[in-house]
Amino acid sequence: MRTTVRKGLGGVAVALALTLSACGGDAGGAGADAVDGEVAGEVTLLTPIFEGDTGKQVLEEELLPQFYEEYPDVEVTIDYTDYGSLNEKLTTSIASGLTPDVMMMGVGWIEGFADKGVLQDLGEVGIDLGELEGEVAQEVLNAGIWEDKLYAVPTMLDTRFGIARKDILAEAGFDGPPSNWEELREYAIALTERDGSGKVTRAGLDIMTLDPRQMFEVFLFSNGGDLFNDEGTEPTFNSPEGVEALEFIVQLVREDKVEDIGFSSTDADTYPVINGRAAMMVGHNDVWIKVQDAAPEVADELVPFMINGTQEAMFHGGTLVTVANQSQNKAAATALLEFLTGPEASLAANEQRGNVPARAELLDSDYVQDNPMVQFAMENLDKAHPEGGVPEWLEVRGEFGSAIEAAILGQKTPQQALDDLAADAKAAMSR
Amino acid sequence: MTHTLSNRLQQPDVLETGSAGKSRRPRKKLSHARSQRRAGWLMLTPALIHTGLWIAIPVLATLVLSFTDYSVFQPPSWIGLTNYIEIWNDDVFRKATWNTVVYTFFTVPFSMAIAVVVAVFLNKKMRGRSAYRAAFFLPQVTATVAIAMVWLWMYNPQYGLFNGALAFFGIPGQAWLANPDWALSAVVLVGIWQGIGLKMLIYLAALQNIDENLYEAAAIDGASAVRQFFAITLPMLKPATFFVFVVSIIGAFQVFDLIYVLTNGGPANATTMMTYEVYRSAFQNFRMGMACAQSVVLFAFLLILTVVNRRLTGGDEV
Repeated sequence: MRTTVRKGLGGVAVALALTLSACGGDAGGAGADAVDGEVAGEVTLLTPIFEGDTGKQVLEEELLPQFYEEYPDVEVTIDYTDYGSLNEKLTTSIASGLTPDVMMMGVGWIEGFADKGVLQDLGEVGIDLGELEGEVAQEVLNAGIWEDKLYAVPTMLDTRFGIARKDILAEAGFDGPPSNWEELREYAIALTERDGSGKVTRAGLDIMTLDPRQMFEVFLFSNGGDLFNDEGTEPTFNSPEGVEALEFIVQLVREDKVEDIGFSSTDADTYPVINGRAAMMVGHNDVWIKVQDAAPEVADELVPFMINGTQEAMFHGGTLVTVANQSQNKAAATALLEFLTGPEASLAANEQRGNVPARAELLDSDYVQDNPMVQFAMENLDKAHPEGGVPEWLEVRGEFGSAIEAAILGQKTPQQALDDLAADAKAAMSR
Repeated sequence: MTHTLSNRLQQPDVLETGSAGKSRRPRKKLSHARSQRRAGWLMLTPALIHTGLWIAIPVLATLVLSFTDYSVFQPPSWIGLTNYIEIWNDDVFRKATWNTVVYTFFTVPFSMAIAVVVAVFLNKKMRGRSAYRAAFFLPQVTATVAIAMVWLWMYNPQYGLFNGALAFFGIPGQAWLANPDWALSAVVLVGIWQGIGLKMLIYLAALQNIDENLYEAAAIDGASAVRQFFAITLPMLKPATFFVFVVSIIGAFQVFDLIYVLTNGGPANATTMMTYEVYRSAFQNFRMGMACAQSVVLFAFLLILTVVNRRLTGGDEV
């Protein structure tokens, strides 16, 4: 027995030594190597966009050949994923020391990875922030800046705002979409329809197709609230503005009953506003390409509008391109980043997903002019608010959904739900 | 005359009788035993390397990392029991633990009960028996993700099979996976259905070992089929039952992909499980140290359950 215990403790000691020495490869240890003149060699690209056959075709058959024309000595290996699996891909690749050279990630992701030294300071590899400021809207460019350094360049945005069915509104006698919260509530109640058993057949306002966190953020921003204070030291989503926003949402569902729990979900095949199961929704700008596929005859009936509490506001996420600090081929990686965020590649990627180009020059493109949702988003970028802002955002955001659901389901009051969430955020920020 | 090794072992070697007349047999036995041990270790080596590399080292590493703050991006730093204290105070992990226990409590016995009855029926001679066996076993070999996708459609509040069937009888449907009152039950149902196949297969194999004479004797004594089932079949299946029970509990405690596809732990953590919290800690919160601590807690649960179960059921003693 004694021998067994000694052997067991010995094994633990060996494992301790091995584990602590093997783990935590210094993510920032590579430092910022100067970019060599020649752009050549292999680079890996991790992308959560360009999914599916269409996306793959756009990237590999349309875009990369253009890149290879300019850089024939570079070979790009692509690792496809989606946003749902991006976390796992990044974690496992960084932990194993196989960080991709070029990584595309979302708004709100940059702070955490930059703070941990995973991302390359793009100023050190020749990307001029000043030049970009003339080409990309500042609000959007800010998503790639952390502690005054540029770590990521945006290639696309995706926005959340109000979307209404003009025809359904007109049937009920409304001339246009609501202009403030009071009208939003009034219209939603008036436009809700139920069958004989009391089940909702048409939601006055669909808020459940959207991710609950992003849906809450639209109302939070429109009520003048924000996720964190300017210093990034305290959560502020549980401020009176935030609580009011959540109370408004809860009232819509639980008292006004403009939508039943489970009426829609984030994996709905079709947005209810497209097939007439909702009169209005808080939705995504990609509704335009979805309606072209599902019901092009109602496309002209869709009208975007800003959610307006104390101010007009919309949420914006997006995809940004970064270079890994540990990349062994920063010249080629930087060249690929510049290509992917350039006007041609950016336009193609946005067209494929129905998203909003980050470059101001693309406002006049046929794609934007033919897409009223994207046009609306680009024209209102000054009212767009991003999420994130602190390095711990990726940890905090994971808890948002259940907090918002708990309030909507009546398990907690909005104040309780947001206070508990703020406590979790503070704990994460203090670690 | 051929001298085999065993012959030489049994017979004293005339040449090797010692000067004092002592027999050399014990030394020969010793060297034979040693060479057998060596051969045994040699044969075990590939499996030991595999077990060591892919099981022992990761398990030990998990145990060690559970005492650290490890975000993947930076080296782990020792924090002692902090992760475990946080787990103890974490309402969500407590909820996940409770959900896991409830899930296991319902899926294991229900699917075992259904499996044994199905196995008894499919042990009889009937037309299409092979097809029925394959049909019951099919969920076991189907990817859980695919199963979850299909059940997602069946549970859809608008056009799902269940609400459609209820509507036929004039009963209002439910938002099965969006309603916290129903979500866990909905997941349990999928778990029961999916778990029947393998258990049925194990019981089928065990049923082949039951002496038919027992049933004949019982039939002669006038025992009904039901009486025979409870008096003969179930007791004779005790070893298989213990095995199925332990394996099922371990499997139920490790449920993850069903939750990931069906509910993502929602609504409002109503269906989160211990494994899902481990995933969230590791891949959403980037807290590997915490994920390791949660894994150790899960492991401890399973170890205790296995030991308790063995004591209560008497293991494979009949």
